[in-house]
Formats: sequence, structure tokens, C-alpha cells
Amino acid sequence: MFSRSLRVLGARANRRTLSACYLRARGLSTTLNLQTESVTNHNAPVGESITAQSNVMPIYLDAQATTPLDPRVLDVMMPYMTENYGNPHSRTHKYGWETEKAVDIAREQIANLIGAHPKEIIFTSGATESNNTSIKGVARFYKGKKNHIITTQTEHKCILDSCRVLQEEGFEVTYLPVNKGGIIDLNELKGAIRPTTVLVSIMAVNNEIGVVQDLKEIGKICRENRVFFHTDGAQAAGKIALNVNDMNIDLMSISGHKLYGPKGIGALYVRRRPRVRLEPIITGGGQERGIRSGTVPSSLVVGMGAAAALSARELDYDYQHISKLSRRLIDGIQSRVSHVVRNGDPNHIYPGCVNLSFSFVEGESLLMALKNVALSSGSACTSASLEPSYVLRALGAEDDMAHSSIRFGLGRFTTESEVDYVVDNVQAHVTRLREMSPLWEMYQEGIDLKSIQWSQH
Amino acid sequence: MSVAFTRSTAGLVRAQLQRLRTSHLSSTPVASLSVFALRSSFSLCASSRLYRFRQTAAAFSTSAIPAKDVTVTFIEPDGNEVKATGEEGTNLMELAHENDVDLEGACEGACACSTCHVILPDNIYDRLPEPSDEENDMLDLAFGLTDTSRLGCQVMLSPEMEGMRIKLPSATRNFYVDGAKPSHH
Repeated sequence: MFSRSLRVLGARANRRTLSACYLRARGLSTTLNLQTESVTNHNAPVGESITAQSNVMPIYLDAQATTPLDPRVLDVMMPYMTENYGNPHSRTHKYGWETEKAVDIAREQIANLIGAHPKEIIFTSGATESNNTSIKGVARFYKGKKNHIITTQTEHKCILDSCRVLQEEGFEVTYLPVNKGGIIDLNELKGAIRPTTVLVSIMAVNNEIGVVQDLKEIGKICRENRVFFHTDGAQAAGKIALNVNDMNIDLMSISGHKLYGPKGIGALYVRRRPRVRLEPIITGGGQERGIRSGTVPSSLVVGMGAAAALSARELDYDYQHISKLSRRLIDGIQSRVSHVVRNGDPNHIYPGCVNLSFSFVEGESLLMALKNVALSSGSACTSASLEPSYVLRALGAEDDMAHSSIRFGLGRFTTESEVDYVVDNVQAHVTRLREMSPLWEMYQEGIDLKSIQWSQH
Repeated sequence: MSVAFTRSTAGLVRAQLQRLRTSHLSSTPVASLSVFALRSSFSLCASSRLYRFRQTAAAFSTSAIPAKDVTVTFIEPDGNEVKATGEEGTNLMELAHENDVDLEGACEGACACSTCHVILPDNIYDRLPEPSDEENDMLDLAFGLTDTSRLGCQVMLSPEMEGMRIKLPSATRNFYVDGAKPSHH
């Protein structure tokens, strides 16, 4: 075999070139390209597609879905993916001690972001797991004595689904409505609390429309009534100032990849004084205070910690940068395009999440038209289902407005020129799509669209 | 006088325990009695001193402070009920060990494990002072935790607990799924 390849080469070859040449002679690649070679891609497009093959990526304006990994976070993570590979729970050798120390530092960084004690931070696989653990865990622990949970109609699907699962188990759940701006009514919350209420779960910043609830007041009401207060802080942590003690928060879910950290990691804050008890959903060796057993992924944790530390340090700067871009985007679009509605109360909103409804234009078609911009209509989680966003429905938006909404997500790395490009394109495409729209034609003729009886088909 | 000799095996065990403890004693005077004395690992010595005083007092029958007996019932996971009588101030884990109740105590009362986890009735639980952070941290790791759970080694018998029914959880963090039972020291 070797002699055959030598004859083919006709030259003196040393061991290194021989092995590479041997592979090439056999028609095998010299690199291990697992992504393309070992798996058949059943989703590959049939014909040639220029955009699929080009190296140009669209402008990223989907910060609520995920955020890019901050290069400084990657720097911190690299040693823990290469040399420091020890299991942080290995108590007997240096690999374990080093990794445990790094995990402890990350725990403290995340605790500092929200004003907690490091012992109160539990690492999970993400905010979905944190939400599941807190809601199902707290409810099931106090099952004997208390069986009522309060949440809102605009929560993330993992919270609503956990509540639905608990309803199957015999719990009662109150889904609080929101006003047209997306904010809950505090008097309604007070009225909904019963002696058997165990938990109130209200998200800090909504992922679809960006509204910020009044956490301090909600926390006060919950503390007065001795009810646990859980908040989904996935979109809020690192973006707005949070303090679990000032806001009387007992449980909080945090997501790593929403604050420029890695995907696959999250945290759950569980208050120690007064102690919050919960039944864990993942049991085993008792890691993470028994609340979440399993090896803590040190490289991801270290990354999340670094991301949290960076966000804490740059919170004000990022907020100002994003506010400026947000103003530029909204003013640009609203001054050039008519009949654009911003969903969400503008006085209680996070500027980085801009949800606009363009009347008489279908959201999906506008998304596809803006093919050089990565956007979303509704949220990434509802994109698989065909229903229009339940968050927009809760705001009282009619189906047609719910279908025509687009969410622009601005982040730390978004630039002014990107925003300007988007504004120009939105104006061009909305104008074009409206010219094609029969609804726009009817509106211009003065027909009241609400008076039309559409036939069912 | 009668306390140490009325029950044969329990008394022997207790005498042995007491002998072990006296070897660590200092000669400082006995701490004052308090009804719901919460024991931490630091006050282990204090209650041992109390114990020695009791023993001495019982031996001479001239104590100024009467040694009160409290009877409680342990309900084991299989439903078996064991009545146990102990002196005021004994912690529940010791009481269980003296009466051959199936309660583990891996760290022997140092508040460093969760194997002596017991479930108390609501009314008694509410009247006890709040558990310390250390006890709560250990309780977090206990199997079958409830909202009236305590570590047996941190709860001291008191006259108010007369007739209390203490439930044992079905398992502990030690995996004796094969039915093995831990041996008492």
C-alpha cells in the first residue's frame, strides 16, 4: 500500500507528507469536517441558491432571540474548553479545585449583577429550565397547604406551559390580563391573591414587546401577603438595573445567551432568607444545593459569569447606546411611513425591543422582503406554530395587527449605519407591499375595514 | 436516680454516650437551662455539661432543677411506631438512637449532613425558633423534604413536645436502595 503511493508520487516522501498524500490518494479529506461529511443534510435546497452560498450575513436585529457571544467572554471561556477540563465537583485533585474556584467566581459575578448572595445562585441549562424548576418546584413543595398560582397572560411559553401542567395536577392558576400597553393592574393583582396563593410569577421585561413591569410594587404586594414572587429576568438581567432585595424578589430566572454569553447555560436565583423551598425537577447527587443535580458545565458557567460582569460594568453605557439607536429607528420609520403602531407602553419599555405593527401589510411578507436584515415577527418560540402572537392578542391587538407586527431587537453591537439601512429598507418595502395590498386600496377609498363581513373559507 | 436504670439497653447506651462526652468536658460550671434550646455544633459541650450535671443530680437525688421526662412517638417509614422517653434537652437524633429507631446520624450531630431529617407536626414546628442558615443549607439536601422538616440533631426535647408524633422520611441522601441499614456507633 505504502509502496503504491510512493510510486504515484515518484518522489522521496517523509512520514508526514506520506500520510497526507496517502489520504488524498485514497480520495479522503485531510480535515475532519464533521458538519458536512458525516451527516446527510435532508434540508439542503434542491436548486442553487445564491444567498445560501454567499458569505454575507444579514444585519442582526433579533437580540431578544439571542445575542452574539462577546469576544471578551470567549477569551475567558477558552482555557476551560482546552486545558482546565476538570469536573468542578472533583474534590480530590487540582483539576477539580481550579475549576471549582472558577465556578465560584462566576457565581459571585452573577450574584453581583442582581444584588444577591453567591450561595443563592443555582446554575441550570437555561432560563426555560429555571422557570420550570421555580414554578413546578415551589408549587409542588407547598402542595398540601397552598394550591393557587398567579401569572400573567403575556408570560413566556415555558411559564404558561408549566402553569398548565400544574393545572392538570390540581392547581388553580389565575392568568392576569394586561392593559393596552402591556402592563398589569396592581389592584387586580392584589385582588387575585388568596390565602392559598403560593406563587406570583411576572416577567420583568417582556420578550416580544419589551414592556417593563413595576417589579418593586409587585414585590411589595407579594411580601405583604407572604406569597413568593418569581420573575423571569431573561430579557432584563444585564439590561436594566435589578436588585432582588429592593424589589423583594424571591426567585429569578436568568439566561446566559441573552446577555452576550454562551447558549446552554442559565441561572436561577433562590432566596435564602426567608428560605424558599422547592422540589427539584432534576435530582441525583445533590449538586447546586440539591436543587439541580448534575455536573456544572464549567466552561459555560465561566462564560456566563464573565458576560454578567461585563453587563454589570457596561449597563449604563449599553442602555444609552441602545436608547439612541432605538429613537433613531422609531423616529426614522414613523416619520417616513404612515400607520405604524408601536406595541407596548412607551413609558415602561426597554428601548432595545421595538415591536412595530405596520397596518395593511402582512408581517411575514415584510420579513421576507427585508432579506438582508435578520428580524422576527412575534417571538422565536412561536415561529413554529401558526398562531398569531398571544402577547399581542392580550394587548387587545386585533388579529390583523397581530399578524403585521415585526420585532426589531437592538443590541450592544448594533451600529447607527445598520439602523439607517433598516429604516430605508423598511420604508421602501412597506410602500411597495402596500401598493400591492387590497386592504390598503380599500382604506384609501374610505371603506371602513371593520364593517366588512369576510366570508369564511 | 431511676432515669438511668429503668430501661436496660437504652440506659446502657446512654451511659456509654455520656462517658464518651465526659472525656471532652472542661470543668466550667453548667450553663443555665432554657426550654427550647437550639443546639449548634458549638454548644455541644454546653449540653454535655448539662447532661453531666443531670447525671450527678440524679445520682445524688438532691438536684435543684427537676429532670423532666418527655415521651414522644417516632413513626418509621414502614408505619411502625416507637414510643420513646427522654430527658428534657436530649436531641431527637440521640433519643432515636437510644430507642433503636431507624434514624441515621452520619455526622453524629455536627450539622454536616441531612440523614437525621425528621418531620414534625405543624404546631410544634411553628413554635420552635427558626432554623439557622447552616441547618437550612443541610436540610436543602434532604430527601423528601417538607415544610415542617427539621434536623433531628438540632431539635431538643422540651415539655411542650409531650406526646409529639415525629414522622421519619422514607429515605435519606445515603442510597440504601438495597435495603441495607446503617450501623449505629
